[in-house]
Amino acid sequence: MDWLFKDPVLLAVALGTGLPFLSMAVILIFTRGNPRASCTISISAVCTSFVCAVYLLAKLFHASAPVQYQTAWLLADDVLIPFGYLLDPLSLLMLTIVATISMLVQIYSLGYMAGDPGFSRYYAFHSLFAWAMMNMVIAPSMFQLFIFWELVGLASYLLIGFYYEKYSASQAGKKAFVMTRFADLGFLMGLLILVVGYGNLNILDLCEAGKTHALPNMLVTVSAMLIFCGVIGKSAQFPLLTWLPDAMEGPTPVSALLHSATMVAAGVYMFSRIFPFFASSPDAMTMALTIGTITMLLASTMAMVTYDLKQVWAYSTVSQLGFMVMSLAAGGYFAGVFHLTTHAGFKALLFLCSGIFIHEFHSNDMRVIGKHGGRNLRIPLVCMTVGALALSGVFPFSGFFSKEAILGVLANSPNKIWLYAGLLGALMTAYYSFRLIFFVVFPKGGVEEHHGHHGEDDHGHEEHGGEHHGYIFWCMAVPVMALATVTLLLGFFQSALEGFLMGPSSAVQAVAAHGAHAGGEAQAAGHGAGHYVLLFTAVSLGLGGIFWAYMEFGRRGAAQEGFLSKLPQIQELFARRWYMDDFLRKSLDNFIYAGLTSAFTKNDRRIIDGGIDGICFFTVAGGRVFSFLQSGMLQHNLLVMVAAVGLVVLYFLF
Amino acid sequence: MNALGTYLIIAALLFSLGLLGVLQRRNLIGMLIAVELMLNGASLNFMAFNRFLAPEPAVGQIVTLFIMGLAAAEAAIGLSLILALFRKLRSINVERAQQLKG
Repeated sequence: MDWLFKDPVLLAVALGTGLPFLSMAVILIFTRGNPRASCTISISAVCTSFVCAVYLLAKLFHASAPVQYQTAWLLADDVLIPFGYLLDPLSLLMLTIVATISMLVQIYSLGYMAGDPGFSRYYAFHSLFAWAMMNMVIAPSMFQLFIFWELVGLASYLLIGFYYEKYSASQAGKKAFVMTRFADLGFLMGLLILVVGYGNLNILDLCEAGKTHALPNMLVTVSAMLIFCGVIGKSAQFPLLTWLPDAMEGPTPVSALLHSATMVAAGVYMFSRIFPFFASSPDAMTMALTIGTITMLLASTMAMVTYDLKQVWAYSTVSQLGFMVMSLAAGGYFAGVFHLTTHAGFKALLFLCSGIFIHEFHSNDMRVIGKHGGRNLRIPLVCMTVGALALSGVFPFSGFFSKEAILGVLANSPNKIWLYAGLLGALMTAYYSFRLIFFVVFPKGGVEEHHGHHGEDDHGHEEHGGEHHGYIFWCMAVPVMALATVTLLLGFFQSALEGFLMGPSSAVQAVAAHGAHAGGEAQAAGHGAGHYVLLFTAVSLGLGGIFWAYMEFGRRGAAQEGFLSKLPQIQELFARRWYMDDFLRKSLDNFIYAGLTSAFTKNDRRIIDGGIDGICFFTVAGGRVFSFLQSGMLQHNLLVMVAAVGLVVLYFLF
Repeated sequence: MNALGTYLIIAALLFSLGLLGVLQRRNLIGMLIAVELMLNGASLNFMAFNRFLAPEPAVGQIVTLFIMGLAAAEAAIGLSLILALFRKLRSINVERAQQLKG
């Protein structure tokens, strides 16, 4: 253990990424019946992780090369699979994001989950998630990344199905698990192809190979496309995007942590992790760009019609993830990662604010919340507006900076259609975010009242303004305010972050320089007219979306119906998620159940069961036949015995 | 014909008669007696070889003594089994005892 204490960096990383696992084990084994002890253990573990992550970030901010610790884990022939830690700018940044948001969400959960019978279990699963996610982030090889990637999926499954007594929740957990697993099959195959063709899964080596184009083109394209399947599943890209909205069945803090800020960003993270590798295959990049664009637009349209608070943010998460994939696929490494960072902040903020409303009004419907006096909860409302402004890309919130960076990258790509798609997405984003805000702030008729005491309730809330909840309320409000502050300030650290990510210790440095030019030109040198036009267009589209939402939902006397209700078919199309679920269901029924499964069932019934039955039958029948020889007469047996012995004697004599 | 041959022929006759008795008799006590005959045939063989061929005279006699002891034990157990069977079936005819069950 001595070596551990001699190196503070190693100590910090081992402590920070190991403690949550320990806390999960302790909670599950010892303190299941003691919620207070469980949450203390879990939160102190994740706070330690946070301190370690910040320490590492500060310590290695100016490091000149990635720091790597690893030990051989598996050695087969000439394939070496290492386990360990890789600390470069990207992993440090992501580690800090994960630790920060995990910590805030765990503190928030103290209020949100107070009194829940599964309180200890909840914290155990949260610790499991924190452990898996942090180890995934600092993995030095794709294989370790894959293992923890799956563990993160497990944590997601457990937390979505947290209210397992609820049928829809357990179904949603299953759906998420199966869909992501299906995509991970592609990921695993991609890795296997890479092992066979290249013999190494080390991330730094892969990046190096991608930079120098050391790998055959075919190999890179095939494996990159297969590995991208993993991104499609985990980051809910088209066509596997429907699991994410369903995943909102979990508790709201879970949605904030896993299904918006960190876990679903794992796909994007993995993409940027081996970015040079992907970048060396133009075909894979084009595929990724197309998928990202489709995802972004589809999810935005879905968000425009739903009334469920969390669903809106879920669709918007999907669409922002699509936006990140677009940015990365267009070569904008920094823009994508930066948007990942800012998005983690403001989307966690949005979910946590929604959680306060849901906790207060016991409803997910934005109309019900508005009607019951949602606007009287001042702190969450203001914070949610901050988050929505950031999401819409309004200056000076963090989303503005990252969205500009991405649009700058898209503007530099030769095909302008991506840019227009991005701008359309920005418009829709602003529209649906503020549609929600206006529903909460300016409630109108249109929702039947659920119970007779409505007026009384309303009165109560107005009087106390939501502040009277004391401990529970402040547990939830403090993390929300912290995130809102981050959202306000993060954008101004853009150049510092860019310097860090593109710095000398970055794995992507050389290749990304090319892509960064795209963004960088637009940023630094691009003070030319073109950039300002773009900037102006984007901001005015964002504001236009807000104004549009105001006209339809906010202004006095507005019908609060939205233009889509005039086009019922399209509204239906959006509300049914473009019939994607139906399509998947149908193909599941027709191909999997009717084709594969029934073939396997037949094989099981006819061949395997039949074979075993046949063996039994022959044994019994054989027994029957031979039982005729057995008359029960002692002396017949003796006679046969003597005859046999006689024969043996004759055989030996002659 | 030398002396050993005579003894061997007599022993073989004894053994064959015993075998015939075991196979042919339906009476369990008769079968038991026939088995004793077979054992005696074998004992006679041992004694004959011992007398005429063996350098160490004691071995054959010891084996014969063992066979006699064995035969006594066997008779005791066999008779008690036959007694038990008789109590159950009221008969000592081997044809009546056809089932293992019971």
